[in-house]
This record gives sequence, C-alpha cells and structure tokens, in this order.
Amino acid sequence: MEANSKRIECAAAAWLAHRDSENWCERDQAQLEAWLRESDAHRVAWLRLASAWEQADRLKALGAGVPDGQIPPRGHWTLSPHFEARHALPRKRPRPALARVLAIAAVAAVFAVAASLLFVRQRAEPPVQPVVYRTGVGDSRTIRLADGSDATLSSDTIIAVALSRRERDIELRNGEAIFEVRKDASRPFVVHVDGRLVIAVGTRFAVRRDGDAGLRVVVTHGLVRLESDPAVNAAATLLPAGSVAQLSGDALEVRRMPIDQARELLSWRDGFVVFHDTPLAAAAHEFNRYNTRKLVIGDPAIAGLKVGGQFRWSNQEAFVRLIEQVFPVRTETRAGDIVLLAKKTSPRKRTY
Amino acid sequence: MPVLTDLDHWFTREILPHEESLTRFLARTWPRRDEVHDLRQETYARVYQAAAAQRPRLPKSFLFATARHLMTDRLRRSRVVSIEAVGDLHDSNVLTDERSPDRWLDARQTLKRLAEALDRLPDRCREVVWLRRVEDLPQKQIAARLGISEKTVEKQIAKGTRLIAQYFYGGAVEEELPRRRRSAPGHSRGSQQQTD
Repeated sequence: MEANSKRIECAAAAWLAHRDSENWCERDQAQLEAWLRESDAHRVAWLRLASAWEQADRLKALGAGVPDGQIPPRGHWTLSPHFEARHALPRKRPRPALARVLAIAAVAAVFAVAASLLFVRQRAEPPVQPVVYRTGVGDSRTIRLADGSDATLSSDTIIAVALSRRERDIELRNGEAIFEVRKDASRPFVVHVDGRLVIAVGTRFAVRRDGDAGLRVVVTHGLVRLESDPAVNAAATLLPAGSVAQLSGDALEVRRMPIDQARELLSWRDGFVVFHDTPLAAAAHEFNRYNTRKLVIGDPAIAGLKVGGQFRWSNQEAFVRLIEQVFPVRTETRAGDIVLLAKKTSPRKRTY
Repeated sequence: MPVLTDLDHWFTREILPHEESLTRFLARTWPRRDEVHDLRQETYARVYQAAAAQRPRLPKSFLFATARHLMTDRLRRSRVVSIEAVGDLHDSNVLTDERSPDRWLDARQTLKRLAEALDRLPDRCREVVWLRRVEDLPQKQIAARLGISEKTVEKQIAKGTRLIAQYFYGGAVEEELPRRRRSAPGHSRGSQQQTD
C-alpha cells in the first residue's frame, strides 16, 4: 500500500520531468492523459507535483545578480535583495532540538565519568558510592554509564549505579530499564532487584520490577544469567536472547519467543505499549506505569476482556475511547482517575 | 500541460496548502509512519472525487474529516489486531482554523520556502534544478554542461520535483516524523559483542 502511493508519486514525477524535456511528443501526451484519467490518485499526485514545479519558477528571483553558470552555495540567499538579513535561511538544519539534547547528554556523560573517577580515586576499593538516576511518571531517558554501557529508564524508574573495578553494580529500585552492556569480561554487569541478580557481560536486556514480588527480564541479545542472592542457595537460570522470564514470588516462568516479539515488550522505549489478547486489567496496569492519572477497573466483570493493538502510552484517552466503542464499557471520573465500568448489557468476551 | 479543470484549480488552491497540517495530523494519529504517505494520497483522491460532485463549503474541515473517515475505515478493515489506533481520531483542534489559503504564504514567504526546498536537495539534483529553473537551460544543454546523459537529467528533475513538492507543501514534517524504530535495544550503537 505504501509502496503503491510512492510508486504513483514517482510515476507522476517521471511524467512531469519527461514532459519538461525536448523529447516530449504527441504520443507521450496522449499516454499521459490516459494515465491521468485512470484514477483520481494519479490525478492528485500529478497536480501536486505540477503545481510545486510551477511554483519553483519563482526561484528565478534568486538568480538575480548571480552570473550564469554559477550555482551559489547553500544558504547564500541572504545576499539577494529579496531577503532581509532577518530572513537568513538556516543552513541545512541539523535538527537543533536533537543537537541540543545530544549536547546535554554529552555534558551529562562527562559529569558521570568525572563523578565515577572521583569515587574510584577516593575510595580505592568498594564500597563505591552509587549514583542514583530517576525518571518521573511519563518520562523516559537514556543514560550513558561511565563504562560505556547504556541504561534506558522507563517511566517512574530509579536505578542506583556503582561501578567499581571488579563489578558493575546496578540496583533497580523501581520501574524498568533496558541495558545495553559494553563488554568487559573482567567486570560483570549485575542488576540487583529485590535480592535477585541478573548478570551479563556484553548484551542487551531489560529488567522490570513488578510490585514487591515480581520481576521480569527480557533478553534481546546475548545471554543473561538470573540468580537468587548468593545467600539463598538456588540454581541459576540461563536466559538466551528471545527469553522472557517472569518471576512472581518464587515462581519462575521462562518463555522463549522470536527476538522481534521479545523486543515488542520493550516498545515503551519508542512511546508505545503493545497488547496481544491482553486482559483489560493488565492493559490498564500497563498504561498506569506511564501516567499519573490511573485507569481503574471498577467492575470485575470487565477485567478479563481481551484487548490487542498498539497504543501510544501517552494517549490514555484514545485508548479509553476505543474501549468504550468496542466493548460494553462506560467510564466515570473519580478523584481524577478514570474508572472503567460495565454497561448494563452483560459483557461478552470479545477479542480485539 | 494537460488541460486543467476548475476542479484541478480548486484542489491546488484550497487543499494542497493544508498538506503540512494534514501530514502532522496523520502522523500523530496513525501508528505506522510508513503509511502516512499512502493515507495522505488516498485522502486527496477521496477529496478530489467528492469535490467533483460538489465542492465542500469548508475545504479544510472536509479534508480532515475525510482523513478521519479513511483511518476509521482502515481500522475496521484490518484483520487481526483491530484496535490499531494510537492517536486520537476525534482530535478536533486541527479544525479550529479554517484559514484562507490566500493568506497561506505571501510572495516573499513562498520564495523563502522554495529556496529552502532547493537547498535541501542533494548536490547533483540541486545543480540540475538550478540550471533548469533559474537559468532556464533546456535539459539537453544541462546534460552537455554537466557531462551527464539526458536521461540522468530527466531523472534528477523528477527527483527534484518530488522533493520540492514535499518540502513546499509539507514543510519539514515528513522528515521530522518520529521514526518508529523497528529495532529495540541496541541497534543504534556499535557495541555489539558476544556475551559471557
């Protein structure tokens, strides 16, 4: 479909360019007109390009004062009397916002490096004073750690990072984070969550703390070892890429899936949540990780309705509206939260 | 030039100037960035078709309503995962401003925008467009001047037309759309080592 609209646009452009050449003949003209009659999609694509090309005729104004055959460098239009200085064109904008963010990130990284160096100097051996990073509800950011690894923090997340010579020690105190670990065999990268250890050397995985007893590990590259605290004598579990380990209390469930599917669980990084046959209660819980205004299931009868699809987590309202449209569900606002309730008709189980 | 009808002129004058906000609206509402182009084109085709019967009184509102209907239709048609909407189809803030396209861009702004569009073209393409549009050289002479084939000149003009239209009507929206990264953790950076 996408290919189709682009193909039509390219065809329209080819017609236009050919018509602009000296090789245009009557037969071409007839063919073009036939093509334009074929569909409105052809016609609008052509109109759009033809009018832009016609508008481009105004560019002649830029040629004033420029000797023939010389093509001025980019951004030199300020020299032309047609522009005042304040209309100076930006030179090939390198997306200023992004540039600024990168600059800030760079500064932050320098500070992080400086900070960790200081710690290493002052206290030659452990304990290293951890550096704490946190995000608010609805925020997400990536932090480059001093060892070159990256940590991307999801909404409402706290990690404490302590890098020593022998170990890279991260404590996930709340929320979820994706780690892209720089390989360093002499210093394992260990994520602690409530007495559990998730250990890697060079790999990519995400760890999420679910309440007080829950933990989820998603591995998308390499291999991760999941252990209980050494004090507790339990076997370690090896998690290769494509594994999703879910721990609730002492119950461990490991699923293997294609890597793309595992990555989908980390769509929050791109601003999305993805559901497949997910019970409404779980979907609401997922949304609540990212929003201060909570979705509350006000009626157990609707908790099990299955939802599917991909949603921007910041757009809770669109989700709620769709739920109202396709399910017998109505909503009320109570104390700032959105309460989902069953409509009078008895809800059927439907999969969307 | 094929003969332009009243409808063609109406479309160019009343609809195309809204491309930038239309593209933003589609991108904000529809989850798949790579389908925005297609949605836009189908929206245009539907508007054009409807206007052939009767011109809408409020072209901009009609344009956005058409885009909304189109997205709703696609949602209904999609098979497995049917609530694929991530944006808000009922977003109405785009409709508040039924601005007159006459005031869209004055001559100076038009020129400025065209110059920006020109400057965004790749080098060779920019050269060809300059020689063709500013110096008014025929394609054949451009080929001779640059030592390239006429076919290549024609191709560069086709490309230039598309890119100029994209920026002239759409502004920088298309290139600024948040790209939905298919790769999750880590494809962005170089450190892809093996594990322990």
